[in-house]
Amino acid sequence: MTGPLDQDDYALAGEYVLGTLSLAQRKAVEARLKHEPELLRAVMAWEERFVPYTALTQPVRPSDSLWPRIERSLNALHDSQSASVTTPPRRRWVTQLPFWQGAAGIGMAAALVMGVMLSQVSTAPTTPEYMVVLLAPQSQSAGWVVQASNQQQIELIPLGTFEVPDGKALEFWTKADEWQAPVSLGLVEPGQPIRLRLDELPPLQDNQLFELTLEDDTGSPTGLPTGPIQFIGRAVEI
Amino acid sequence: MTDESLEFDHASVLAKCARGEHDALHQLYVYEGARLLGVVLRIVKDRGMAEDIVHDACLNIWQRANSFDPAKGSARTWIFSVARHQALNAIRYRDREITFDSNDPTDIDLDEHFQHSSVVEDAFDWQTGQRMDDCLHQLETERRNCVLHAYVDGLSHAEISAHTGAPLGTVKAWIKRSLLRLRECMA
Repeated sequence: MTGPLDQDDYALAGEYVLGTLSLAQRKAVEARLKHEPELLRAVMAWEERFVPYTALTQPVRPSDSLWPRIERSLNALHDSQSASVTTPPRRRWVTQLPFWQGAAGIGMAAALVMGVMLSQVSTAPTTPEYMVVLLAPQSQSAGWVVQASNQQQIELIPLGTFEVPDGKALEFWTKADEWQAPVSLGLVEPGQPIRLRLDELPPLQDNQLFELTLEDDTGSPTGLPTGPIQFIGRAVEI
Repeated sequence: MTDESLEFDHASVLAKCARGEHDALHQLYVYEGARLLGVVLRIVKDRGMAEDIVHDACLNIWQRANSFDPAKGSARTWIFSVARHQALNAIRYRDREITFDSNDPTDIDLDEHFQHSSVVEDAFDWQTGQRMDDCLHQLETERRNCVLHAYVDGLSHAEISAHTGAPLGTVKAWIKRSLLRLRECMA
């Protein structure tokens, strides 16, 4: 994504600045600009080259009402921003990711917050051999921790409350690297810890994936995850 | 292009906006408002819509001022790009069902050497005293016209084609080739 641009992308950046692109093409460029610094650099270079030609247009005196209108909007903006500080952020549902996609990156993030999490669970009576921090995919905030005191028994511990919409439930899943499909570990109550035996599963292993998806209140109708991932993480040997 | 723009410190005004100083945005509006409205009006060609866009652009500049990085470009360029892109998005949105903008790749494979029957004259008095002038000067007149019709008038490929009489594929090819030549020339 950060490699040198090809000619087509240089021209695309130029066309974006000129303004010849359709709305869909403009939106596609704007989406790429957020994570492609080379493309952004090309766009900015074109902006600098062309900006002198804004002088080809005649200045037009704005109507007297325009500044007062801007000022009112500015004040309204300011009011709404100071109000929003006291309002708790609305819970936003994550959109469904293709099922296992992104899990590797999330595993990395989980590893990064491990240090923090470890200090919180150090009062546990037994030292877990494995640990999983389950993060919300979009906010990357930790929602649950899985502790395994041995390879057959795990404990899922909530780190906060979580609202489940009416008619829906959280279903807990796991999948080791070489498994073909995830296996359901059953429904879990938001905010309630749960202890599970994995007797019918192979021993827990490093990098094993765990996640909670939002399903119908009777569980996934297919036996495989169907709803959006709410929390996801990978087991780390500790 | 006059030296006026050099007297006004756009970067420090943006820094003040980022700190929440309403007066700074007002100073910017007083100094650049008429030029911004001129640029936007030329693109959207509707006075009410142009003022709406300048209103939105000012709020946008205010809210995004803290993301402006003087190491990466000039503040004045950044301010004008915010307003121009707001105007361009607005007209492309307005005209999305009217403007036919085919992505058919065969469009662009048409002969780039389309010639008007008569001598083409400059559509713009375009010399601004910038280095880019020399590069624009090296383009054929009709191609330079296409580039400036896009940048100044906000015309789409199809509109430039209608305006100049050159086929759509030719316009697309001319603009793309012109951009690559301009880039080479400015390098």
